[in-house]
Amino acid sequence: MGASKLSGMQKQVLSLYRGFLRAARSKPTEDRKRIEMIVSTEFRHNSKEVDRKNFQYIEYLLRLGTKQLDQLKSPDIVSLSSVKVVASKT
Amino acid sequence: MAFGLIGRVVGTKPSRLSTAARLIPARWTSTGSEAQSKASSGGGGANLKTFQIYRWNPDNPGKPELQDYKIDLKDCGPMVLDALIKIKNEMDPSLTFRRSCREGICGSCAMNIDGCNGLACLTKIESGSKETTITPLPHMFVIKDLVVDMTNFYNQYKSIEPWLKRKNPASVPGKEILQSKKDRAKLDGMYECILCACCSTSCPSYWWNPESYLGPAALLHANRWISDSRDEYTKERLEAIDDEFKLYRCHTILNCARACPKGLNPGKQITHIKQLQQSG
Repeated sequence: MGASKLSGMQKQVLSLYRGFLRAARSKPTEDRKRIEMIVSTEFRHNSKEVDRKNFQYIEYLLRLGTKQLDQLKSPDIVSLSSVKVVASKT
Repeated sequence: MAFGLIGRVVGTKPSRLSTAARLIPARWTSTGSEAQSKASSGGGGANLKTFQIYRWNPDNPGKPELQDYKIDLKDCGPMVLDALIKIKNEMDPSLTFRRSCREGICGSCAMNIDGCNGLACLTKIESGSKETTITPLPHMFVIKDLVVDMTNFYNQYKSIEPWLKRKNPASVPGKEILQSKKDRAKLDGMYECILCACCSTSCPSYWWNPESYLGPAALLHANRWISDSRDEYTKERLEAIDDEFKLYRCHTILNCARACPKGLNPGKQITHIKQLQQSG
């Protein structure tokens, strides 16, 4: 099978994902699972929804993710939590 | 709220104009409610002006676009910020921009108006029927509409250690470190900087190397601390920025002096640092 060369942006996304998982390892076990679940659902959702060519949006998400990762790395931060917002139709 | 405002007006003394500061005339501008009552008396013959504003929404990401808005200048205050607030209040509440003091002292509303960087609260709306184009600060990552990511800019400011550093305690312990009037005058033209980022984002050298070049704003502040007679770490400060990229990316393009809304000249301060590096 041919080696599919990853573009620079794809490598950045993967390294961000890896960074999140590594940061999760330093947290207590229950929070670690929650962080991993939130991060993996977010990344998988975006990989399906976001157009591969929409560089501006991907770079925006990368910057947002890097800032959140820097916050997560701090030893004071214990866990991540996420809330799903559904826009009401009324 | 009104209490605090009144207290401030009573307490201020007439400010002495430094050579570097520009005279910014104070103006009683009509508030939105008063203006609307005036509109009815204006009747027909509205003075419409089109504003083309950069829009990009991260929640519905697509390509960024310039959206047109028509404003009746009779109903609106004289500054671009008045127009933006009017658009946000009456036409499109989703327009996003930073603003705070509306008097040119906080530096929040820095943006690119008709190709020139400036503060929206200090830039007058050009009369005439030509369209005004408002875009965010150039070569900065956009968070939403006219709001840009300033973290790199602030980190560069932090990296020059903008605080007083001393090796010896004050000559009279517990009292102020004294400074002659002549030494204090050396800081004029540098302390007024409000960190609006208009200068750094107008520098082409900063566009091409935003991470390694410190930019005119940070270097202006570096010179402010280098020139401060009370600071004892001058040599260390000069050595810290004596770098091919941090300082010497400046090629005296001097777009910074043109863009500064407070009338400062960062290019001159950078030349001063370069001279000190040469002699020291």
